[in-house]
Amino acid sequence: MTYIGAEVIISPMGGTTAENWSAMRANRSGISLVSKAGFDNADFYLSKILSLSGGYKFEKLLLEALESVSAMIDPEILSSERTIIIVSSTKGELDEDIKDQFSHSAKALVTRFKLVNEPVIVSNACISGVLAINTAQQFIQAKIYDHAVVIGCDVISDFVVYGFQSLFAISDAPCLPFDAQRNGITMGEGCGAVVVSNAKEIFQNAPLALFPGTSANDANHISGPSRTGEGLFRSVKRTLELNKIATDEIDFISAHGTATVFNDEMESIAFDRLGLNDVPLNSLKGYFGHTLGAAGVIETAASMQMMRNSTLIKSLGYQASGTSKTLNVISENKEKKLNTILKTASGFGGGNASLIIRSL
Amino acid sequence: MSLITTYCHLSADICSVNGEIVAKRNIESDESWFRQIYKEQEFAYPKFNKMDILSQAGFLASELIKRANPRIATAYGDDEIALFFANHASSADTDMRFVHSYEHNGAPSPSLFVYTLPNIVLGEIAIANKWYGENMFAVLPKFAPEFFFNYGQILLSGSSKAILCGWLEILGNAINVFLFFVENNVENGTAFNHENLLKLSSFNL
Repeated sequence: MTYIGAEVIISPMGGTTAENWSAMRANRSGISLVSKAGFDNADFYLSKILSLSGGYKFEKLLLEALESVSAMIDPEILSSERTIIIVSSTKGELDEDIKDQFSHSAKALVTRFKLVNEPVIVSNACISGVLAINTAQQFIQAKIYDHAVVIGCDVISDFVVYGFQSLFAISDAPCLPFDAQRNGITMGEGCGAVVVSNAKEIFQNAPLALFPGTSANDANHISGPSRTGEGLFRSVKRTLELNKIATDEIDFISAHGTATVFNDEMESIAFDRLGLNDVPLNSLKGYFGHTLGAAGVIETAASMQMMRNSTLIKSLGYQASGTSKTLNVISENKEKKLNTILKTASGFGGGNASLIIRSL
Repeated sequence: MSLITTYCHLSADICSVNGEIVAKRNIESDESWFRQIYKEQEFAYPKFNKMDILSQAGFLASELIKRANPRIATAYGDDEIALFFANHASSADTDMRFVHSYEHNGAPSPSLFVYTLPNIVLGEIAIANKWYGENMFAVLPKFAPEFFFNYGQILLSGSSKAILCGWLEILGNAINVFLFFVENNVENGTAFNHENLLKLSSFNL
């Protein structure tokens, strides 16, 4: 059995998991209008941590997240030779050193927390976070390590905003995942962390069970989702089969839901093909924005909070179905015991990944 | 036991497969080094011309490996080959070109932006082959044989029956590419372990 716990979220909604959970429960978003954020001084809605200023934002967030993690687990764990830190990110500290986007922060983590093993960076576009958690699970199951801390982090930079602006992919209002009126993403920044371990006793609060996950490529397009949802369909199918879990055992899906027309449509087709239409589902992008390489970790951490608090959180920005296949998008917060949940992610490069967490 | 059955190196001026040189850079030529290999080897895949340098490197090395090892095309299902690449510079070469587009060329270039992620090369190889298997791109301080061995074994103990792995480091004129194919249930090859990876990589670590 592999355990997952000690989840941390740092976002515009707050610097602690508790603050983020209370914002989610109040359906409060971290998104605000930021003036002159885009190329040619365009104003954009962003989920930006306004209190985070100066340089080395990426490194500051990683250190802060690991500091929070260290207070929630056995203090000996971080500096153990049986522990690996896995960082999921797309652009890391690109603003500090474009030629070496991760080394400075990785070294800062090693020094501050006396890490024995060099951190590993997983950089697979928007599936990085889910893939990093799956990798942690695999490393532990294979007994290569006993514990892993997965930290997902990406910060907003001119680079990414100008890039998504050049693709006409940014919404002119706060993003509306799965809604009929959706017209693009809202960029976000933040940091999430989870601890994955073979030992239940290292956690101060009871952990949950993390099942092995899988990934699959769409083999279709580098920057557009598959029209048939092939990769997402295959990844979820493989994850369910690997764990011998039936679709009717899934109590909740934390979808990717970027709020672009094509992505959300693709997800609806994949979930329809999987027979998961009736499972309550949300996208958390309406709260956190799209935090790219951090998204999978932040949204897994948020889903773990939903499990612990037995609450389905409303998919913020959703009013009317806007996909060809109908999904059970959560329109109001609702109390419900969540035993087994599915987290998915899809991204550029045709990647798709999925994981399953179960209450103990 | 898992065996490394085929491998390919690309450096700034040499391209080799299983240690045998297949192309040498002509410095007199106006064409880029990777374009020279593409033409000399008579590849026909028009998308190659749109790819950034990291994807071109991955495409060429994977096609050369497939050509040297015909089993790859016939012995595996469409989701049984995992792609597992790593490097140190991420997509820095293309990232700098993208920054140049908005700082000096008038506007951010969408066709460059879509290549500013290191895992795009995995997508290009998946598309070229219609491979729906597992994907991983890691950024590491340097070529780490042990990491390739450990995670490679993990992939092979799951639903993947073979893995195309690679170190794909490209920044400016520095090109350091080593792709290798690992299979189970084959007779000829080099044992997949970290000593052999270090030896075959020819990297001075």
